Amino acid sequence: MEDDVVADLVKQLVKRIIPSPGNAKEKSSSSNGEHQDTTVDRAFQYAMRIIGSRIAPSIASDEVAMAESIKRQLVQEGRSSDALTFADLHRRFASLNGPGSVENRWSVLYLLRAVSDDQRREAAATKGTAVPFTSTLSGAAALGGLQALPKNAEHPKLQVPQPDGAPASPSPKSSLRNGSVRLSKPQSGGSDHGPQGGVLILSRDGDNVKSVAIREYMEISQVESEVTEAALVRDVVYACQGIDGRYVKFDSDQDGYVIDANVKVPRTTRVLVRRLCEVGWLFRRVRNHISESLEDGPLEAIGTVGQAFCAALQEELGDYYRLMAVLETQVYHPIPFMSGSVTNNGGNYLSLRRLAVWLAEPLTRMRLMAVLVDDCKTLRGGAVAGAIHMHLQHGDPLVRSFLKRLLRRVCAPIYEMIRRWVLEGEVDDLYGEFFVGAQPVKAEALWRQGYQLQTSMLPSFIPEPLAKRILRTGKSINFLRVCCEDQGWAKAAAAAVATVRASANGRGGLGYGETEALESLVAEAAGRIDRHLIQIVYNRYKFRDQCLAIKRYLLLGQGDFIQYLMDLVGSELSLPANTLSAFKLSGTLESAIRASNAQYDDSDILDRLRVKMMPHSDGDRGWDVFSLQYDAREPLTTVFTEDVMAIYLRIFNFLWRLKRVEHALSATWQTMKPNCSVGRASAIKGDGVKSELTVVLRRCQTLRNEMNHFVTNLQYYIMFEVLEFSWANFLAEMEVAHDLDELIAAHEKYLSSIVEKALLGERSQLLCKTLFSLFDLILRFRGLADRLFENARETEARNQNAARQRSKDLHSGSFSGRKSSMSSLSGDFLTSISEEMDAVAVEYSSLLEGFIAQLPAQQHVDLKFLSFRLDFSEFYTRQHMSMSTTPLKFKRTSLRI
Amino acid sequence: MPREIITLQVGQCGNQIGMEFWKQLCLEHGISKAGILEDFATQGGDRKDVFFYQADDEHYIPRALLLDLEPRVINSIQNSEYRNLYNHENVFVADHGGGAGNNWASGYHQGEQVEEDIMDMIDREADGSDSLEGFVLCHSIAGGTGSGMGSYLLEALNDRYSKKLVQTYSVFPNQMETSDVVVQPYNSLLTLKRLTLNADCVVVLDNTALNRIAVDRLHIPNPTFAQTNSLVSTVMSASTTTLRYPGYMNNDLVGLVASLIPTPRCHFLMTGYTPLTVERQANAIRKTTVLDVMRRLLQAKNIMVSSYARTKDASQAKYISILNIIQGEVDPTQVHKSLQRIRERKLANFIEWGPASIQVALSRKSPYVQTAHRVSGLMLASHTSIRHLFSKCISQYEKLRKKQAFLDNYRKFPMFADNDLSEFDESREIVQNLVDEYKACESADYIKWGMEDRSKAMSGEGNATGSLDSRAALL
Repeated sequence: MEDDVVADLVKQLVKRIIPSPGNAKEKSSSSNGEHQDTTVDRAFQYAMRIIGSRIAPSIASDEVAMAESIKRQLVQEGRSSDALTFADLHRRFASLNGPGSVENRWSVLYLLRAVSDDQRREAAATKGTAVPFTSTLSGAAALGGLQALPKNAEHPKLQVPQPDGAPASPSPKSSLRNGSVRLSKPQSGGSDHGPQGGVLILSRDGDNVKSVAIREYMEISQVESEVTEAALVRDVVYACQGIDGRYVKFDSDQDGYVIDANVKVPRTTRVLVRRLCEVGWLFRRVRNHISESLEDGPLEAIGTVGQAFCAALQEELGDYYRLMAVLETQVYHPIPFMSGSVTNNGGNYLSLRRLAVWLAEPLTRMRLMAVLVDDCKTLRGGAVAGAIHMHLQHGDPLVRSFLKRLLRRVCAPIYEMIRRWVLEGEVDDLYGEFFVGAQPVKAEALWRQGYQLQTSMLPSFIPEPLAKRILRTGKSINFLRVCCEDQGWAKAAAAAVATVRASANGRGGLGYGETEALESLVAEAAGRIDRHLIQIVYNRYKFRDQCLAIKRYLLLGQGDFIQYLMDLVGSELSLPANTLSAFKLSGTLESAIRASNAQYDDSDILDRLRVKMMPHSDGDRGWDVFSLQYDAREPLTTVFTEDVMAIYLRIFNFLWRLKRVEHALSATWQTMKPNCSVGRASAIKGDGVKSELTVVLRRCQTLRNEMNHFVTNLQYYIMFEVLEFSWANFLAEMEVAHDLDELIAAHEKYLSSIVEKALLGERSQLLCKTLFSLFDLILRFRGLADRLFENARETEARNQNAARQRSKDLHSGSFSGRKSSMSSLSGDFLTSISEEMDAVAVEYSSLLEGFIAQLPAQQHVDLKFLSFRLDFSEFYTRQHMSMSTTPLKFKRTSLRI
Repeated sequence: MPREIITLQVGQCGNQIGMEFWKQLCLEHGISKAGILEDFATQGGDRKDVFFYQADDEHYIPRALLLDLEPRVINSIQNSEYRNLYNHENVFVADHGGGAGNNWASGYHQGEQVEEDIMDMIDREADGSDSLEGFVLCHSIAGGTGSGMGSYLLEALNDRYSKKLVQTYSVFPNQMETSDVVVQPYNSLLTLKRLTLNADCVVVLDNTALNRIAVDRLHIPNPTFAQTNSLVSTVMSASTTTLRYPGYMNNDLVGLVASLIPTPRCHFLMTGYTPLTVERQANAIRKTTVLDVMRRLLQAKNIMVSSYARTKDASQAKYISILNIIQGEVDPTQVHKSLQRIRERKLANFIEWGPASIQVALSRKSPYVQTAHRVSGLMLASHTSIRHLFSKCISQYEKLRKKQAFLDNYRKFPMFADNDLSEFDESREIVQNLVDEYKACESADYIKWGMEDRSKAMSGEGNATGSLDSRAALL
C-alpha cells in the first residue's frame, strides 16, 4: 500500500518537474505527447530506481565540502554563473530554518551530485538526451552497490537503505530544490525558464499550511514589538559581550541586562532577552574579575596561581569571543530574500530563540566560570586550586573536562613550586600561595619552626600525608643546606628526578591529575633526601654517639666518672649555693673526666660537657643548683632543643640526687665497716654499756640496710627498667627511623618514657615528693650515724687508753676504776641518739610504707617492677600484715586510697 | 682517681691464685705477658688502672705485692713468662727462705718481724695511688705463711689503713682428705679470728667445694691445684668486673660490698659461678640465658663453699644478700623475668628481719677473651649456712685441742709463750660468736638478739676483757 503511495507521489513529482516543453502549465501531464510520456516514464523509472537503490555515501558527510565540490565542478566546466546560482541556492537552502527545513542537507547535495555525475557520463557516451536514464542504473549501482532493480514494490528494504530519505520525506522544499537543480541542468541548452518556474511553484505553494502559519505567527508577534527581532538579536549579542546595545542595556538596579523599559516589546521577548543576557551578565563578572586581578590589583593580591587562573579564564573567554564573532557576523547575514513576501518575516538567520540554542553551551561554561570566580575571589594560591577542585565532583563530563583543563592551568604554578621545593628546597613563593610557609628563624629552630604547612593553602586534592611528606622533603634540604652545610642532597635530588623520569616512561612532568607522578616524585625525592639526611646526622654529626654520650654523662651511665665527680664536688656542694664558683666546679669536672674512663672519650664530646649552675635562691646548697649540661651544638640542637635539654636536666637532677643518697649510704657503711674499731670492739662482747651500744649499732646497721636496700633497688629499677629498657627501644627505633621527624619522635618517646617511669611525670608528683622526702631522711640518717660512730670511736679510743693504763695498773697491782672508765660513753648520749634513730626509723617506715602503697595507684606507668624489687623477699608484705592488726591500720588504709 | 686496689698475695697458695688472677686480668684487658698493651686492645672501654698502673715506659704493672717466706712459688713466677709483669720491688721473700713450716705462729711472728719491709712496700704502692680504695689479700687459712703472716698483715693494715677496705680471698682447706698439715685446724681458727675482726669482706673459697666442683661438674677425676686455682681466678676476676668495666652501678668495691654486708660481722661471702670451664677443656655448650644462669647460681652444687649443715639446719639457712654479676650479652628485660621466676619458685630463702633481694649487676665481657657461652654469671652471697663451715673448724680444733696435740710448735713463739694459750680460746670464742650471729640471722628477731644476750654477755665479760688485755699487750 505504502509503496503505491510512494510511487504515486514520485510520479506526481516527476510530472510536476518535467513539464512539456513549451507548455508552462504544470498539470499538462494528460495532454503530453508520446515523447513526453516516455520522458516522464523514464524519469519516474529513474527516480524509483534511485529510491530503491542503496546509495550509500563513501565519503564523509561534510555539507560545505560537498557544496564546494559542486561549485568547483561547475566552475571547471566553465559554468561560473551556474556556480554562482548554485551558491546562492545553497545558501538559501542552508539558511532555511524553522519548520519544514531540511536537516540532512548534505545528503540532498550528495544525491544531486550523484545524479548529475551519472548524467554527465551518459552524455559523454551517447551524446543523446534520451539515453541517459538507461545507464543511470549502472551509475546508481556503481555508487550504491545495489544491482537489483527496486521495481519490486514489495521489497521490504525499499525505504530502509535510503541515504537520508530525501525523496522519502516529501518536503515541498526539498522537491523544490531538487527540481530547481534538475531544471538547471537542461539549461545547458540555454533555457531560462526552468528555475523561475521552480521557484514560482514554491512561492505559490499555498498548500503549505505549516509555513503559512509560522509566517502568520511571526507577523503577529512582531506587530506588538516596536523593535525588530533582528535588532534585539544584535543587542543581545552585544550584551553577551558585555556591551550595552541600543535597547538592551545593563541595569545595575536589576543587576542584569534588560531591555530598556521604555521600549515596547512583548513580555515573552523581554523575558527571553533577559534570559539570554545572563551570559552577558556572567561574562561581565568574569571579565571584571580578570581585569581587576590582572590589571588593577597588585600582584600580591592574587599571586601566581591567581594569575594562572585568570589566564586560563582569559583563554576560555577567547573561545567565547570567537563564538560571539561568528554570531555577530550571522546577525548581519540575513537570509537573502527571495521575494517581498518573505521580507516581512524578518526571517533573520539569528532569531532570539536560535540564539538561545547557540548560547546554551557557553552559558553553562560561563556560569561555571562565574561561580569559580565568585568562589575564588577572596582566595589565593593553593586555596584557589582547592576551591576549583571542589567543583570537580560533577556528573557532567563536559563540566569535568572543562574543570580539569582549567585546573591543569591553575595548578601549574603550584606544581612548579612543589617541584622546586621538593628538589631544591626553595620556597618559590613571593605571594604566600604555597602550602609550605617559611618563617625566618634561627638555624636551630629551622626544623621545628622554620616551615609550616599552611592548611588553608593546601589544595584538597593533595592529601595531607603527601603534603607533610612534601613539607619534610624540602625542609630536609634546607636543613642540610643551612644547618649541615651539606651539598650532597643535590645529588640525591638529581637521582630522584632521574629515577622518576625513567619510571615515568617519558610521560610529562607534574600537573594536575598526575597525582601518581607527584607521589612518585615526592616519594623518590623524600626517600633519597631523608636517607641522605639521616646518614649525615648519623655519620657526620654522630647522632648515636651523642645520644650515648648524653646517656653516659647526663644519665649517669658512666658510673666511674659520676663517682669521681661526686667525690670531688661533694664537699664543695655542701656549701651555700652563692659561694660556689662555677669556674672552680668546671675544673673539678675536668679532673673527674681525667680520672675516669671518660678521658678516653672523643674530645669533641668531652668539650660539650659543662657544669651548669641553676638559678638559686637564699638558703640553697650547692647540691640544689649543681648540674651537668651537654651542649649538643647545631645541627643536633634540632633534636636536642632547649626544652629537651631541660628535661634531661630534670632527669639528671633526679639521678644525681639518687646517686648522692647512695653515696651517702655507702660512706656510712664505710664508717661502720666490719673491721672498724667500734665494730671490732662490739665483736668482743663487752659490759652493759657496750651491749647497749651494740643494740644501737645494730639498729643503725639494720636501718642503713633497709635504706640501702631501697636505694639500691630503686637504682636497679632505674637502670634496668627505665634507662636500659628505654634505651634499647630507642636504639631499635633509631634503627628504623627513615627521616628526621621519626628520629625526633623516637628520641622524644625515649625521653618521655624515662620521665614517666622515673616518676618524674606530672601524674607521679606525689610519689616523687615522697621519694624526695625519703632521700632527705636518708641524708639526715647519715648525719646521725656519723655522729654515733664519731662518739663510739672516741669512747673506744678512750677505753683502749684506759685498757692500756689498766694493764699497766695490772702490773702495778691496782685494779681501781676499771669499770667506770669503761663506761665512759654516756648512757645519755646513747639514749638520745637511740631516740633520734627511732624517730628516723619510724618516719622512714611510714614514708616508705606510703611510697610502696602509692606504687600500684600509678595506673599510667607500670611500676610493678619497682614494687616487685622493693619487696622481693616479701619483707614489707609481712611487715604490713603484722602491722595491720595494730591501730595503724586505719592510717595506712587511708594512704592506700 | 681510679679507686685503686692493691693486691697482697701471701704464701704459697696466695701467690698461686694471685698468679692465676693476674693472668686472667691480663687476658681480659689485652695486656701481654710482659705487661705491654696488645695492639688490638684499644677499644675495650675497660678500666685498667684499678688493678694496674703504668710505668714510665707504658708497661702495665699490677698493683700487687708478692709475699712469701719461702722462695719456691715466687721463683717459679719469676721464671715464668710473666716475670716481667710484676714490679720486682714488690716481691718479698724471707731472707732465710725457710718458710713458716705450716705453723701459724711462725708465720705471724715472722710477719711481725718483717713488718717494716712489707709496710714500706705497701706504703709505696698506696702513695702511688690517687684514691686507694682498699686491699685484697689472697691467702689460704690452713698453712703457715698465708694464715700466719696473712693474719698479721690484716691486723697491721687494719691499724694503719683503718679507713680502707680490706677484702680477702681466703682458701679454706679441703676437709675431705687428710691433709699433710696436721695443725691446719689450729691455723684455720687463728686466722678466722683475724678474718672476723680485721677484714671487711671475706670471700670464702672452700677447697673442698672447689674439688667437688672440679670432679662433679667438670669431670676431672683428680683435680690439681692449678685446676682448682683457675676456678678461683675465674671467681676473682668475675667479682671485679663491675670495677673494671664501669657502668651505671657497682663501680666501686665499697658500693659492691656495702649492699652485700648489711651487718658488719656477717661479712663472709660465698661464691658460685656458672657455666664453669677449666682451661682448654671444651665443655658441652649449654643454653645460657639469664634465667638459666641465675637459677644455676642458686643451686648448692655450684656454690664454692661446702655446706656441712644437716638437713634440718639447711632448711633454716637463709640468704642475707645476693649479688649476681651477669656478664655477656644480656637483654635487661630478661633480668626481671628471671627474678620473677625465682621468686615464684621460691628458689631462695631470705632473712626475715630486713628487706633483701637478689641484686643483679650487668657487666660487659672482655672483648679479648673468647668464650663459648653467651652469658655467664657469678654469685656473691651472704648465706647463713656458712656458719656450719666455721662450726666444723671449731669442732676440728677442739678435737686437736682436747688432745693437746702439736701445741709445742706454737709455744715456741711469743704469742703462745709461757704456755699462754688464751689466744686459742679467744679465737674460738670469737668464731663461736660469729657462728651464733649467723644463727641469729636465721631468725626474725635478729634485731633484738643483742639485747637478749646481754646477761650472757655479762657473764662472758671477764673473758672478753681478758682477751682484750692480752691483745693490747701484744700490740
